[in-house]
Amino acid sequence: MKTFAYTIKDEVGIHARPAGLLAKKAKEFESVITLEKGGKTAVATKLMAIMGMGVKCGDTVNVTVEGADEEKAAAEMEAFFNANL
Amino acid sequence: MDYRQCAAEILCELGGKENLISAAHCATRLRLVIADNGKVNKGNLENIDGVKGVFEASGQLQIIIGTGTVNKVYDEFIALAGISAASKDEVKQAAAAKGNIFQRVIKTLGDVFVPIIPAIVAGGLIMGIMEALNFMANRGIISINQSGYLFQIINMLSNAAFTFLPILIGYSATKVFGGNPYLGAVLAMFLIHPNLQNAYTVSTEGVAQSFSIFGLYDVNMVGYQGHVIPIIMASLILATVEKKLHKVVPEIIDLFVTPLVSLLVSGLLTFTFIGPLFVAIENGVLWFVQWLITIPFGIGSFVMGGIYSTTVVGGVHHMYTVIDMGQIAQYGFTYWLPIASAANVAQGGACLAVAIKSKKAKVKSVAFPSALSCMLGITEPAIFGVNIRFVKPFIFGSIGGAVGACLASIMHLGASATGVTGLFAVLLHLHAPIKYIIVIGTAAAVAFVLTWFFGYKDKEDAPADSKSTASKEIVVPEKEYNNDTVYAPLEGKVVALTDVPDATFAEGVLGLGAAIEPAVGEVIAPADGEISSIFDTHHAVGLTLDNGMELLIHVGINTVALNGEGFTAHVSEGDRVKRGQPLISFDKDFITSKGYPIITPVIISNADDYKEIKTTTSAEVRRLDELLKVERG
Repeated sequence: MKTFAYTIKDEVGIHARPAGLLAKKAKEFESVITLEKGGKTAVATKLMAIMGMGVKCGDTVNVTVEGADEEKAAAEMEAFFNANL
Repeated sequence: MDYRQCAAEILCELGGKENLISAAHCATRLRLVIADNGKVNKGNLENIDGVKGVFEASGQLQIIIGTGTVNKVYDEFIALAGISAASKDEVKQAAAAKGNIFQRVIKTLGDVFVPIIPAIVAGGLIMGIMEALNFMANRGIISINQSGYLFQIINMLSNAAFTFLPILIGYSATKVFGGNPYLGAVLAMFLIHPNLQNAYTVSTEGVAQSFSIFGLYDVNMVGYQGHVIPIIMASLILATVEKKLHKVVPEIIDLFVTPLVSLLVSGLLTFTFIGPLFVAIENGVLWFVQWLITIPFGIGSFVMGGIYSTTVVGGVHHMYTVIDMGQIAQYGFTYWLPIASAANVAQGGACLAVAIKSKKAKVKSVAFPSALSCMLGITEPAIFGVNIRFVKPFIFGSIGGAVGACLASIMHLGASATGVTGLFAVLLHLHAPIKYIIVIGTAAAVAFVLTWFFGYKDKEDAPADSKSTASKEIVVPEKEYNNDTVYAPLEGKVVALTDVPDATFAEGVLGLGAAIEPAVGEVIAPADGEISSIFDTHHAVGLTLDNGMELLIHVGINTVALNGEGFTAHVSEGDRVKRGQPLISFDKDFITSKGYPIITPVIISNADDYKEIKTTTSAEVRRLDELLKVERG
């Protein structure tokens, strides 16, 4: 299992478009990727669940990656967060 | 899937390659222009293996094949049909060029007038009321101070749009023809320049000044107030010259050479040739109509009542005061005015029928005030804004006018003065008010009834077959509910997701579905469910429906940047919602004015759970009409 925390810097938070891109990215991996913020969790491939977390600018999201390709997945997801959020 | 087989079957059901004009494809569809749509067997097309849907839109027959396969089917298709690949633009052009000259002229007139309708409706309504007040005041029926400032100011306000109508038309028409609209406005200003004699004074004062063109003919120094056709023709010349010049003039001097030359050429040509030609035609028409109404037994009047509105389109009607004046001098009555009045009121009757029958808010909002304005004698809004656009109401309006005019002639109805038509003109017929009311009542009723039954139907652009169109008319939203159907959460035009001007949506990153160009600024729940998310910015809502479907409704593109301005949310996260319950209201005009596309994608975000998602074949949906259909995997 790999984990990392990321603080959102995009001023509008995770709204529809980034949530869509995030879900799309998460689908590339075999590993199960979970997001957690303030007690709410969401599977990263589920667009509606991600949006339901209502992540805003300044919030910190804990990302958990678990599965066969977790090394690669965690690295790429972190890169994705850095590039997009 | 056998691509060749699929392409061959499509071609066969289209009525063969002879019936095909051109073909293109986008990410998911074949986009075809067909010569004769009657030869297309849509039912069979839809049943072909590989075809996911068929509909007609903007003159194209669109066949949904799907991403990744459409290009392969397309390659086979053009090979079989023996045509070369066309770009999407070419297909669009071919679609626009379809239709005969008459249809294209009508469409062009519509495109020119639709944007300026608010201006002429507002002016027309105030003007009708002002004319009536003025008339009654002159007769001592009411007592108002016509020289008072309020009357004067409103009077100017009311006729401003008509006095300077050519400028509005010049701007709009030049834009339609692809030229610079500001140059079009300047050209129109020239045609109604204050230094020219006002056209409305010609009938009473005669032509004040004219000059000779190479000794061949005379050009009158008269403005073109109230004229429609000359400025449209002038705009066409302007735009044509301008577009040609843009191509040949070197870019470095294009900015000043092109406007200068195109304005000079079109201005001179219009004033010395097009204008005088039109004046000559006008005089011919005037002579003709005066002769026409002398044909006895109401026959002449019948014909005149029928063609009157057409002459209004041509802009000849402002010359008609001459006829009224002449007749009053000769007989003490004008037999012309009742004919004109019948024709005007009849257009109002036709327009009213459209207003009542249409279910589209947009049509209604134009047609009602236009019809009212007609009843007060100002017909331009109804004729240009409504009747001519839908063609048939104009024809039935003309028939109503013919019947009314014929009656007037048979009853020998004449008006004691001129100045106003429509309801208030009853004051010109105080010697025979009942006859007058019968005349205009019959005219309006005939036009109304004909239009009601045969003249207008809300356009369902692409009915899949006659059955579904018929059932759509009687559908009660509550009646049908199907778990595998996504019902429209807002009213408007259906747009394919691939045509949404945003790659994230168009490429299906957020899921699959369709988009709606909203006609009304409200999103409702398409089915019972729960609000999974609603953004602080209130521009989008995520729903988890009771049938397990996750739906994202995103109002506009990039509207997150508006930060909630223009949006009102009626629900919050975690709320249970009932089908039809309002979720978000938004101010369409505000959002558009801020430069954001208002198009609203409706997306199934858990699209992977379904085997197939099909979009309705209707071009427009009302709330809770079927929008998407899913097939569970």
